[in-house]
Amino acid sequence: MEYVNPLTGFRLDGRRPNEMRQIRGEIGVVAKADGSALFEMGNTKVIAAVYGPREVQNKGQQINNRALVRCEYSMANFSTGDRRRRPKGDRRSTEISLVIRQTMEACILTHLLPHSQIDIFVQVLQADGGTRSACINAATLALADAGIPMRDIVTSCSAGYLCSTPLLDLNYIEDSAGGPDVTVGMLAKMDKVTLLQMDAKLPMDIFENVMQLAIEGCKAVAHYIREVLLEHTKQLECHRGA
Amino acid sequence: MVGLSTGEKRFIHGGIAQDLRSDGRKRLHFRPFCVETGVIPQANGSARVRLGATDVIVSIKAELGKPSSFQPDKGKVAIFVDCSPTAAPEFEGRGGEELSSELSFALERCFLGGKTGAGAGIDLSSLIIVEGKVCWDLYIDGLVVSSDGNLLDALAAAIKVALSNTGIPKVNVDLGPSPDDQPEVDVSDEEFLQFDTSGVPVVVTLTKVGRHYIVDATLEEESQMSSAVSVSVNRHGHICGLTKRGGAGLDPSVILDMISVAKHVSQNLISVLDSEIAAAEANAKE
Amino acid sequence: MLQSKSFVKKTKQGRVVKVVREHYLRDDIYCGALSCKVCDTSAARLTSSASTILIVDTNVVLHQIDLLENPAIDDVVVLSVVLEEVRNKNLSVYNRVKALCTNSLRKFFVFSNEHHRDTYVKEMVGESPNDRNDRAIRVAARWYQSHLGGSTQVLLITNDRENKRKAIEEGLSAETVESYVKSLGQPNLLDLVSLPTSEDVGMEEVEDLRPSKRKVIYNEHKPMSEITSGLLRGIYHQGKLRVNRYNPFEAYVGSESIGDEIVIHGRANMNRAFDGDIVAVELLPQDQWHEEKSSIIADDEDDEEEDVHLVPSSADDAPRNTNLVQPAAASTASTSSRPAGRVVGIIKRNWHSYCGSLEPMPMPAGNGGIAHALFVSKDRRFPKIRIQTRQLENLLDKRIVVAVDSWDCLSRYPSGHYVRTIGKIGDRDTESEVLLIENDINSRPFSAQVLACLPHLPWTLSSEVLANPNRQDLRHLRVFSVDPPGCKDIDDALHCTSLPNGNFEVGVHIADVTNFVLPGTPLDEEASQRGTSVYLVERRIDMLPKPLTEDICSLRSDVERLAFSVIWEMTSEAEIISTRYTKSVIKSCAALSYVEAQARMDDSRLMDSLTTDLRNLNSLAKVMRHRRIERGALTLASAEVKFQIDTETHDPLDIGMYQIREANQMIEEFMLAANVSVAEKILKHFPLCSLLRRHPTPTKEMLEPLLRTAAAIGLDLDISSSKALADSLDHAVGDDPYFNKLIRILATRCMTQAVYFCSGDLSPSEYHHYGLAAPLYTHFTSPIRRYADVIVHRLLAAALGIAKLPPIFMDGLQLTSIADNLNYRHRNAQMASRASVELHTLIYFRKRPTDTEARIVKIKSNGFIVFIPKFGIEGPVYLMPRGDKGGDWVVDEVHQKVMRTGTNISYGILQTVRIHMEVVEPQPNRPKLELTLT
Repeated sequence: MEYVNPLTGFRLDGRRPNEMRQIRGEIGVVAKADGSALFEMGNTKVIAAVYGPREVQNKGQQINNRALVRCEYSMANFSTGDRRRRPKGDRRSTEISLVIRQTMEACILTHLLPHSQIDIFVQVLQADGGTRSACINAATLALADAGIPMRDIVTSCSAGYLCSTPLLDLNYIEDSAGGPDVTVGMLAKMDKVTLLQMDAKLPMDIFENVMQLAIEGCKAVAHYIREVLLEHTKQLECHRGA
Repeated sequence: MVGLSTGEKRFIHGGIAQDLRSDGRKRLHFRPFCVETGVIPQANGSARVRLGATDVIVSIKAELGKPSSFQPDKGKVAIFVDCSPTAAPEFEGRGGEELSSELSFALERCFLGGKTGAGAGIDLSSLIIVEGKVCWDLYIDGLVVSSDGNLLDALAAAIKVALSNTGIPKVNVDLGPSPDDQPEVDVSDEEFLQFDTSGVPVVVTLTKVGRHYIVDATLEEESQMSSAVSVSVNRHGHICGLTKRGGAGLDPSVILDMISVAKHVSQNLISVLDSEIAAAEANAKE
Repeated sequence: MLQSKSFVKKTKQGRVVKVVREHYLRDDIYCGALSCKVCDTSAARLTSSASTILIVDTNVVLHQIDLLENPAIDDVVVLSVVLEEVRNKNLSVYNRVKALCTNSLRKFFVFSNEHHRDTYVKEMVGESPNDRNDRAIRVAARWYQSHLGGSTQVLLITNDRENKRKAIEEGLSAETVESYVKSLGQPNLLDLVSLPTSEDVGMEEVEDLRPSKRKVIYNEHKPMSEITSGLLRGIYHQGKLRVNRYNPFEAYVGSESIGDEIVIHGRANMNRAFDGDIVAVELLPQDQWHEEKSSIIADDEDDEEEDVHLVPSSADDAPRNTNLVQPAAASTASTSSRPAGRVVGIIKRNWHSYCGSLEPMPMPAGNGGIAHALFVSKDRRFPKIRIQTRQLENLLDKRIVVAVDSWDCLSRYPSGHYVRTIGKIGDRDTESEVLLIENDINSRPFSAQVLACLPHLPWTLSSEVLANPNRQDLRHLRVFSVDPPGCKDIDDALHCTSLPNGNFEVGVHIADVTNFVLPGTPLDEEASQRGTSVYLVERRIDMLPKPLTEDICSLRSDVERLAFSVIWEMTSEAEIISTRYTKSVIKSCAALSYVEAQARMDDSRLMDSLTTDLRNLNSLAKVMRHRRIERGALTLASAEVKFQIDTETHDPLDIGMYQIREANQMIEEFMLAANVSVAEKILKHFPLCSLLRRHPTPTKEMLEPLLRTAAAIGLDLDISSSKALADSLDHAVGDDPYFNKLIRILATRCMTQAVYFCSGDLSPSEYHHYGLAAPLYTHFTSPIRRYADVIVHRLLAAALGIAKLPPIFMDGLQLTSIADNLNYRHRNAQMASRASVELHTLIYFRKRPTDTEARIVKIKSNGFIVFIPKFGIEGPVYLMPRGDKGGDWVVDEVHQKVMRTGTNISYGILQTVRIHMEVVEPQPNRPKLELTLT
């Protein structure tokens, strides 16, 4: 299968190897939540809702010197081409929940909010590759919307390697090709990688290139997320003024 | 759950008694509907309905299946509702399951009729491809993204909108030489069969708070309810299904009264939805 | 820059799944014309001065690729929609057009119309995908026209009448292929144009082919939907059609659904299928399963007869054991044996181009110089092909290449078109090229990218290489090589040192090719594709470039060379005590020929150390050989011939059997031992991804002809095991000295060839090498000329932990496909070598009619096949004129004899006869070697 057309250099969907899909972020999609956001990367569409900081529900879990961060990832029955029978609780969901929690925890200033709890719920509406990354990006926006103190904004993007070419932001078809898929999460301003996952074999030198590409992707996402936050804040200001 | 002070509770009760609710509505007024169609492109039909801060998405997928032996001339429809924890932290883990199945069953009652499929709001016989062999199985999946009361009405409205948005692929059937063979079904790529939704009912839930009943209760109002009656009514004013929830008993005459009110409200609701559907379709086309 | 547009696609993978994919439209796709003022021209390929640029539609690419490949056609825009359609329809054409688009000498430009903002078209309601694509092509053409302005004409080339009409209506210029080619004023180009099918615009001047004779000859192919449902229901069976190389009227379809081969008898049942096509077959009723008699063949208008050819060296070279003289009893018995069927439809065509010549015919009068001719492929598996040409006179005595276009059921033969001329028939260079093309052998010079991978010359041993702890310095050892005379690519050398304890240290040193051929480089890819060097009589086609094969890797004498060594400690009884493997540096002290080595060993006066080493090795080899034979290894025989070639004219001067000496056997023995040792080592480390070589045990059915022959002369062969067979072959001693060898030759041709495989694909019991009676075997000792050995070198290096295993080994499927390719290439290389020898045999006998002795190896109804030991060839001797069946000759099947009734003249199997060999030309330009009794 030619995932990159050897004659034109385009991918199946018309992108060049180093191009991301179209991304879109929207803040405040769940009225009842303390913070919420929608994030789309191409056809991948996720919603994140943040509840907290609030009282710890299960006292046994309370931590005295910092906030408790919890995360749950679920996929809607209709999020995949083939209808899913179980929205959550399978091993993959549990693993992704954990990954998102750890990534976000590394970014939240938890020591400022002792004895409290922050819940992050991510709901996948459509999955077309890169759900992990989209969830992290949505969670970042939702946490910012909830006004939770953070070190930096954490953003994520994946990159793969097919047809001897590093490819940014794999969609589902590319992801299913069986090649390596490197997901990177990073603190954009501090230039620190907080999440790194890869699921296949890749020689070291190629891995470096692929990871570098994913990092570039993270930076582009961070740039966009900043714009969304800025625009949102301007609107808030506008509302208050009015 | 919603924590309300005594003052707040009295405010809600008082408002309802005086036909001026906390958000300024009268007792039989719905919040404004906001309808979007085709939000899930990979489904055969989908809709998102927002009713105030209540936000639900419904998707419809059609799969090939085999009709049950009791009803060889009818297709099958299954309704699943999932309450996302984004709507409320209580839905985390298995927390939403109870409410999800309550909603699923209530909706199935409203849309699918009895065991025989008779009186169903959705015309099940239109889903048959080859009698006794092949039919369409419709999977209706609802997702509650944000919850501020009256989930059932919102989900039912979303199902109606999603059904009107549903295209089912046209199929060519090649019957095998012997009647025992499973027929070959060839699904065509382009031609969609538009689903007939004229008979699909809407659901109106009347929530009894104090001596009065209201439509489209918010989460706070629902916390004060004694009982509620959900009635599904189609375009012709026929009642397609009915569910009573809540602990307190109701006088039969009150129930009849509630049903006739629901019937009346439903006709308004249907015309509102119809115009919203038309507007949403026009939007989607652009 | 990015514009998103989703479109909906539905697939059916058992279930109905709606697939949604994004489709981005862009504004940064350039037109590719050098003269363009607006676009970025850095990647432009179309001439700046071009007055006309061509836009071709899918069918033009699919059917006229031979024309497009002609340099007369240039400045062509290939749209991505066309490319995509071509890829889905025909992968080989796709690869060819891809090559055109990347060839820097040609001006073909790929325009991604599907992703361009202005040329993307959405499918309209009720529009078929074909119509939509045609519209996309027209939209793109219109875009080009307005984009490039009036200075350049944009010409749409299409043979689709409807598309052409619409294009002209929309204000585009459009022409058919024929009219465009005509406008170029080069009549010979018209031969390359493929004939249009009925739906397309007809060529005005071509009248229907012999309308009076048009009748339905073949059954209509079933429509695809019917085939699919038939396959599903088990009425039809799918498989690849293989035509019998020796009887083109018989074919086999290996069907998984019935787990057996289905035989297809006759062209009518083959129903226009070509060798290699994927077909759907319907089984015939069981009472029609009998093997059709050879006489059926003669009913068809092609009359087939056997030619003189080289003696087969294995069952793969020999005709299927279709018994031409079948006793009545046997034919009824065989009724139920093998399922027979007929082709009902073709699922995938395997048409390519074919080498051959035109059937001789008189020049037609008038008709504008256009002649309809029949092309006869050199490979007899393919039917004749009807072509039309304007240069008949020119082509009659030429070898030409022809491509097939179509075959409708009204026509006895497929129609095709001329592609190119190779040269004059019978000319040695022409015929050599023909055999290379026929066997799919790439004899092009190595590309610049490949040559760029070579180390700089002159290559010398660097200190870094010596400092590598993984490389042992063995330059102090007395290493030498023994090869055929004049061998330049020496890939193996040996040493043998006596140890103080009375044992010997024996080393086999193999050229360290993988030190220079690194995985994934263009050089490696090329070698992997070529698979093996090909040895023709007068030339060699290398797998690797010459600087590597003849210099840097070749273990020549008196130079320091890198090697991969297997070193054993052996007792004087040749028992292996220990084995070690290492990369090494050696310096060979002598590059001997077999003759020299033999002479040294035989000359009792010589007592120098090198000769002593040789003698020690030889005595060890004898023990090893003996032990191997004890184990049941077969000593098979093949009749290898050797030509003496005139250095000036390259014509063969003399021909004779290749003499095998003890020295040859000695070297062979140590190579076998090294291969076995390496096979054990790599399999131990990589049980799932080792490349090994296996030789399947022949089935009883395969040995049937041997047993029949043996029975006829009263010889009893035990075939229960290789050991039993080897023993009974040893005991088969007749009254003449050549008898035993003859039996061995007959046995050899019953066996299939050994094949490469990936160890993960089979179970260990299947690894067995029957001929060598070895449980494990691989190829390690000739990396210069075999790619399998290169792979094995990499495996061994990884097993020793001195190199990483290239990622390709992790992919079982890919490894399997490499093994398949190697088998295919080896087989083709052998076929080419044999064809080359046959060609030179013919050239040799052209001027030398000869009488010689021959042995009868097979009895036929009208004569017999003889084997001529002196020249290693065999061929038919006819006792009666062709076509005269029955006659007064009678075949005695039990005793394998043919007798003339009423006389006592008879010929029996293995009998010696005197024959006369002479090259005759029954038809002009068709020389053949004829054998007659003297």
